[in-house]
Formats: sequence, C-alpha cells, structure tokens
Amino acid sequence: MELFSEIYSCYYQVLRHILCRQDAMTIQDIRSQICKEGFGESMLSIIPRLKDGTWNLLDRNGELFLSRLSPSFLTPLSSLEKSYLKALLSDPRIGLFLEKEQLDTLDKMLADVKPLWRQEQFYYYDRFSDGDPYRECLQRETDPASGGGIHTDISHDNYERFRHNFRILLQAQKKQQYVDLDYTSPAGTRVHHYYVPARIEYSVKNDRFRLLALKNAGNGSLRLEILNVARIQNVSLTDRYLSCEADLNTLIRSSYYKEPVKLRIVNERNALERAMLHFANYEKDTKRTGANTYECCIYYNQSMETELLIEVMSFGPVLRVLGNERFLNALRSRLKRQRELLLTDSPLCENMM
Amino acid sequence: MSDFRELVKSFPKTREYVRDFFVYGFKSRNEFREKSPRTYDNERRRLESWLGPYVQKTHTSDGTNIFLAIDSNLLDTNPLFQVWKTKSFTDNDLVLHFLILDLLKDGRALTAKEITDLLLAEYGNLSDLQTVRRKCTVYAREGLLERKRKGKTVVFSLDCSLALWLKANEDILDALAFYQMSEVFGIVGNHLTEQLDYQNRTFRVKHSFCVHTLEDEILLGILDAMNQKRQIQMAVKSTKKGHTVTAVCVPLQILISTRSGRRYLCGYVEQKKRFSCFRLDSIRRVLPLEPFAGYDLLTEKLVQNHEKLWGVSFQGKSGHHLDKLSMTIQAIEPGEHYIVERLKREGRGGTVTKIAQNIYQYETEVFDCNEMLPWIRTFTGRILKLKCTDSYVEQRFYRDLEAMYKLYHMM
Repeated sequence: MELFSEIYSCYYQVLRHILCRQDAMTIQDIRSQICKEGFGESMLSIIPRLKDGTWNLLDRNGELFLSRLSPSFLTPLSSLEKSYLKALLSDPRIGLFLEKEQLDTLDKMLADVKPLWRQEQFYYYDRFSDGDPYRECLQRETDPASGGGIHTDISHDNYERFRHNFRILLQAQKKQQYVDLDYTSPAGTRVHHYYVPARIEYSVKNDRFRLLALKNAGNGSLRLEILNVARIQNVSLTDRYLSCEADLNTLIRSSYYKEPVKLRIVNERNALERAMLHFANYEKDTKRTGANTYECCIYYNQSMETELLIEVMSFGPVLRVLGNERFLNALRSRLKRQRELLLTDSPLCENMM
Repeated sequence: MSDFRELVKSFPKTREYVRDFFVYGFKSRNEFREKSPRTYDNERRRLESWLGPYVQKTHTSDGTNIFLAIDSNLLDTNPLFQVWKTKSFTDNDLVLHFLILDLLKDGRALTAKEITDLLLAEYGNLSDLQTVRRKCTVYAREGLLERKRKGKTVVFSLDCSLALWLKANEDILDALAFYQMSEVFGIVGNHLTEQLDYQNRTFRVKHSFCVHTLEDEILLGILDAMNQKRQIQMAVKSTKKGHTVTAVCVPLQILISTRSGRRYLCGYVEQKKRFSCFRLDSIRRVLPLEPFAGYDLLTEKLVQNHEKLWGVSFQGKSGHHLDKLSMTIQAIEPGEHYIVERLKREGRGGTVTKIAQNIYQYETEVFDCNEMLPWIRTFTGRILKLKCTDSYVEQRFYRDLEAMYKLYHMM
C-alpha cells in the first residue's frame, strides 16, 4: 500500500474533474479548473500536454474540447483507503455519525479488509481523562437503591442525549439553521439562546467537542461564542436560517489581540525545537536575534489566553515573555503569588493570602 | 532553473524541507546547509507552488526568509496534505489510469490483451500489451482493480459499489470530513473526501498538529510491521546532534503527546532488554525484519507499564525503579475548584486528597518524575510544596523558579 502514489496526485484530481464534464470546454474553462484545484505552476505542465495530445484524453473540435471519458467515471477505492475506513469502524466517535444499520452495511462491505490500525496501537498519554460521553455504554448498572430489581443507565442516557444533540447541531450547521439551545455554563448558570452553529470543534487534548456558535449581537452583526457540546441540555431546530454566509475566520481573526505575545527563547535544553513544535498550532513568526536566542510572536485571543499562559509557564526559564503588557502582567502575578506561597512560614494554614 | 519540476519522485527530501519551513520558519537560505543552494531554490519554489496561500516572507539582514504561517484555528483542512499529492508520473501512467478505469467501469472482467485491444478500439489509444498488463497488475496490488484467474488466463475487473455507496451517504462523508482533521492518517481521509467530491465545512480541530502528516509514511511502515508482529530496523536521525544511527526494536505502540506535539514509537530493544521510545519525526527509514516470537507478551507488559509511565521515559536519573512525587496545592474554593478538577483530569492516575481547607495534595509514583516538571510548572502560583524521591527533580523545580523570579525582576 503506497501512501505517496500518483493515484492521489493533485494532477489526477484536476484531470478527473475536467474529464468528467459532459459539456464541451474552451481552453479557458480548462485553465479555470486548473487554477481552482491545481498547484501554482500546474498550468505550465497540464495545458501543453492536453493541447498537443500527449495526454490524449480530449477530442478537439476547433476551439472546443470534449472528454473521451464517460461522465459517470468514478475512481474505485484503493486498499489503503478501504483499510483506513475499516480502522474508523472501531473508533468510538463513529457512532456519532452512523446509525447501526449503516455501520453493519459498511462492515459487511469491508469484511475481507484488515484495518490500517487498531485503537490499542496508539496511546495518548497526556489526554484529559474527562472527555465527552461519545462512547456508547451498553453495560447497564444496577441501582442499589432499587434493590437490584430496576436498572438505571446514566451513562447510556448521557450518550443518547449527547448523540442526539450532536446530530441536531450537525444538521443545523450544514443548513445554517438557527437552533434553540438550552445550556449550562461551567459556572452552573443556565443559558437559553438562539444560535447558528458555525463549526463543530473537536479538541484532541481535551477529548471534547465544542460548538463555535454565532449569535445575533444586534445591529445586524453576529458574535462568536464557544459552547461545550456536553453542556448542552436541549437543542432543537427552528424554522429560521442565516440569510447570508458568515465569515467565521474574519470573526476569529478580529478577536485576536492587536499585540501578540512576544517570547524570547534561549536555545537551552532543546528549547527552540520544543517551543516551535509546541506552538506550531498558533499563528506565529520567529526570528533569530543572537547566536543562541530567538524571538517568537504568537497571535491569540482572549479564549486562548489562559491556555497559552500555562503552556508558556510549562517551559520554565528557557522562555521569557517580553510582551504584551497584559500577558506579562498575568505571568508576573502568578509568579508573585508563587513566591509569596513559598515564603509563607506555615503554608498549610487556612486562609493564606 | 530549467530542470525545475513541480512534482517530485520521492517524499523524504520534501519531508525535511517542509518540516523546517513549517516548524521553524526563520531559517534563511544560508542556514539550509545540508543541501546545495540550487536544491534549496528548487524546494522553495515547489513549496510556494504547493502551499502558496500559506507561504509568507520576511526580510532580514541575511536575505529573505520564507515560512509557512498556519493558524490551525482557521483551518477546514490540513494544508500540508498537499505535499502528499505531488508524486510525479509518466504520461503513460496518467493516460492509462483514466482509460483503463473508464473501460472497466461497467464491471466486465477482461484480460490484459482484451483491455489493450479495447483501448485502441474505443479510445484510439495505442499501448503495448506489456505496459497495460503491468499497469493492471500494479492497480490490482493497490486494490483499485480485482485480479482473478479464469482458466489459464488472468482477468481484471473493477468494483465501484463501495465508492458509490459512500458517495450517496452523507453521514459517512461527514465522518470522513471529521476524521481527516482529528485522527491519524488524515491524509487518507482527505484523499477519500476529494475522490468523492466532498469538502469539510463543518469541523475544526484544536490541539492537532498539522506537521504530523509528514510522518505518515514512516508510521505506515511501522504499523505494517506491528500488524505482522515483526522487528524493525530504523535509521534514526538525532534531532539534537544531526547524525543518523541504526536501531533495531520490536515496535509495540505509538505514544502521542497532545500538548507538546511529539509522537514516539515505543519498542522493545532486545539488545538492551528494555523498552525504548523513538521520536517519529526522527525516524528516516523503516525496514521490516523477522517476526518476533514473544510479541503479545511484550505488548501486555507495556500496557501494564502505562500506569507508571508519565511520558515516554522508563527510567529516571535517580537510579530508582520508581520515584514518588507529591505536590501540595492551594485552591481557594469555591472559585478555584477548577484547579482541583485539573489535578484529577490531568494527573494521569495520581491521587488527589483534600488535606485542609483550600489545600490539596496530589501524589503519584512514576518511572521518571523529571518528565512531570513541565506539567507541574503549569500550577505556578498555587504550589505550596513539592517533594520528590528524585532529589534532582525537586532541586530543578526550585532552581527554575528562582531563575524565573530573576528573569522578571522579582528578586
């Protein structure tokens, strides 16, 4: 099974779309398709070969080109792709997407296929232990209060509620439909609002799903809010739809602080390599400032602030925060509190500080 | 640059460059010393061509640096997947791909000779029999075609029923959209969604590292050996010193950190009679060796060890088999109860005990407490006491704190 194979090549994809067109195409139509899907310089390789017949896949009629392939052309799945699908069937999250009948059908179609990997071959050693209840729990617990006669199944109920809510959000997201949502915040307060699901976000570290939700903020503008899917008590579809497509990335970008966090990295204990990989998920730019020192700017918003702060603290003295003031103050305040705690003569007394 | 080609033959060289551009992003032309400047220019031009929208430039006194600016909060797909779609091919490869698959789409089973003849009759394509047979055999090996014996002859056919079922099933397409971002081998999910003309516009993934996809070819070789319970020989390039060494191990499990972005192969090194971890991004080549008789037993042992394994180290500096660590934390309740929750969910099996009003004690016993320090530092501002049977860990924690006070002028 080859992963780096021409059958997955970008050129093959571009050509497939050109060749599956039923109508006659001008060279400009072909160019547009290449521009849309190809790499920056693909045009220089593809167009001459199509025009001079090296890739004799189009019939030419004057200025028009017609595919020689049937429009129903479909690439079959490779062994690698089948093996990948088979591995997904064992992932507990698959139940959020497929009904049992669909899982059975797919399982039957892949009966002779070996999975590309098995769940137990991977171990996420620092993943949080309180992930979302997306694992279907079929074991029923005996309720001692009921004398063992009646069975309750809280885990199963949680799973069912979670799955139901997830399915509704998925449906609404794709149609840009408003949902009526009843939510318990981390502080325990109950919130009830109308939202349009913009994206469903999964955190690999937290093993949790969050909803990036849009809410009317008045004056025709939208505000982005982030909600934990597991904290949604009830959600139902409404008959209202978002009238225009919201530019989610502009909303996210505009939420970033103007001043990034500026870090000075001293390349000790392999700190540079560690930091560059650790913060690879953030938009950042890095420059060398000395033989062994570097400066790295990281862009972030309020919702990322605490996480970024503790990530920076985890590096200890090999990272130095140079700015912004807000971030620097937050770090100083934690250090100040730490110093005071360790200076206290009797730290285990009540009501310290 | 007359020999410039947008597509490439092999992946390893590309992997190095993309990683350097993506992870570091500050290296100038002069700092890519391992290859010639001309190679650098070609690689840089390719990268601009493949990943154009994400390539940014900065101007420094050393010249212009290019880097990949990728903010994972804004992504519906992994831009680095593009790198997997750059394999070069011959003109014949491409033409036969489309014509053979089109010819066989109605499900008929044909010999290579019949296919060759029909290519000429139906598409005007003149190919020699050997080329067609070779292509069909390769496609049968890759699973695109089915190869069967019919008497003395071999026939090839195509089954699109699975592709058709997937294409008609939006639920599975949603699942593929999700998994390409959130699970290993996302590139395969991405190939599938592209092939089925579906795009992810629903899911985002946090704490997933785009750069991991560059290790997928190595991972595939390792998993293949794991599935066959074989030993492997690896070429491992040191990330610190840069030299490459050969290592042999029984590959048992992939250990992943969701925080640091590092992924490791955990294997048993028979020569040293112990478990060892190798960073996936440092492995350059994998060669399968003989099957290993006690494979299942080793896997069981490793899983038993998980409980005492904080990260990837099976032995600390103290020389003890296990070291104990206890951390006393202040959490003013109820407002700071989330700190207690953090200890429980991030503490990897350690115990959390309330020992006084607003005071909690976290205790654990692991192979190497030194690995815990980054996590412990995330509680800076709450720590009342840190005790560890590995005195180095304790000393380093307090020494680093002192260094931090100095760094921020708090002494």
